[in-house]
Amino acid sequence: MSIVEFRKVTKTFGPVVVLSDVDLAIDAGEVVVLIGPSGSGKSTLLRCINALEEINGGDLVVDGISVRAGRSQVRQIRQEAGMVFQQFNLFPQMTALDNVAFGPRRVRGLSRADATEQARALLARVGLADRGHHFPSELSGGQQQRVAIARALAVKPKLMLFDEPTSALDPELRHEVLRVMRALAEEGMTMIVVTHEMAFARQVGTRLIFMEDGKISVDGNPAALLANPENPRLKDFLQHVH
Amino acid sequence: MEFDWSVIVDAMPALLGGARLTILITLAGLVGGLAVGFVAGLMRAYGNRLLNAIAFAYVELVRGTPIVVQVMFIYFALPMLADIRVNPMTAAITAIIVNAGAYIAEIVRGSFLSVHKGLREAGLALGLPTWKVLVYIIGPVAFRRMIPPLGNQFIVSLKDTSLFIVIGVGELTRQGQEIMAANFRAVEIWSAVAILYLIMTGTLTLILRVTEKRMRIL
Repeated sequence: MSIVEFRKVTKTFGPVVVLSDVDLAIDAGEVVVLIGPSGSGKSTLLRCINALEEINGGDLVVDGISVRAGRSQVRQIRQEAGMVFQQFNLFPQMTALDNVAFGPRRVRGLSRADATEQARALLARVGLADRGHHFPSELSGGQQQRVAIARALAVKPKLMLFDEPTSALDPELRHEVLRVMRALAEEGMTMIVVTHEMAFARQVGTRLIFMEDGKISVDGNPAALLANPENPRLKDFLQHVH
Repeated sequence: MEFDWSVIVDAMPALLGGARLTILITLAGLVGGLAVGFVAGLMRAYGNRLLNAIAFAYVELVRGTPIVVQVMFIYFALPMLADIRVNPMTAAITAIIVNAGAYIAEIVRGSFLSVHKGLREAGLALGLPTWKVLVYIIGPVAFRRMIPPLGNQFIVSLKDTSLFIVIGVGELTRQGQEIMAANFRAVEIWSAVAILYLIMTGTLTLILRVTEKRMRIL
């Protein structure tokens, strides 16, 4: 069974149709890379999965739960689908360690000691064991984004959503975030990644989806598609991102 | 004319008694005002249409009328309208609660809404209900941003208590007025009254400075 299933999903912002009749099934273990020109609906598609955007038509089922089922079911979905944002969105009043321990404490109801211990292990996993007591404002962008990944992982999701995780970073800081994401993919995490990092798509992705005007226009193997893009719009797009 | 220090020395016990009442009214009024302000401010920021409209009407009613009129209404008009009889002290404290509450509501609303919406999304994305996001994530950031404007409001409210001279509460200004009426030493008495106010507002400023230093504004 698919872990994420879009069934004729439509999303509109007022008169603007952002997603139109999208059908898409993603299985556990896939690393899906979403690309497309700005305004094509790729970020919206991602944000519909954890119901940060409400869908207007069709149905969207995540891990067996519909996003239209109700508030507590939506919270269930969000616990199963961790999200990483372009702007990191770390909680500024908390240290890196407290940011990571926050989810387990307040969502899963762990004790402070247990949550902190788990957070320490996660920070080590993203290479920031020595930065636990720093506040977000004292960390570089790349470090902040790695803390944000650890924070999302702390709730033990089955699926990770990445919304342009490296777009706000300087080029030399991107690789440290991409390295963490790659390691996560190698451990078998199901990932859906909106990005412009074609090297990541080629090397780590198991599936590439190209979106245009609220529709999925190309869906296939990343290496093959990037080597030989038959769709003229995809070809044109790839020439501009390289 | 000669500045007669003995006048101040003689007046001091009565003036200090007045200052004590001023502090009492301010403290009680601000504690209540903060509670009212938080509720009304959150109703404005996150309430549905009805709650929002109620809070809006309250804020506009209070901000649009002078505090002297408000306290006169509470002290003189309320007994006639609804047979609610209050003593001057209760009327004074109620006036500060109602008045400061409206201004604090706007401070609370503004500071909660000023917090970047990404933080709210990050909290929701972890699977938290909205109220927990407000309590644990947005609230602490918003609270730090409230400190400077709240300090301003505290000082304004403290000085507003001087207007309660109109309902005969024996606060600092009233005490000064009464002593002056008996000995006509305007220069000495009003200097002493002014300095006592300065000491009180200065202490408030100091407390706020320390709080601000301890909590970085984010």
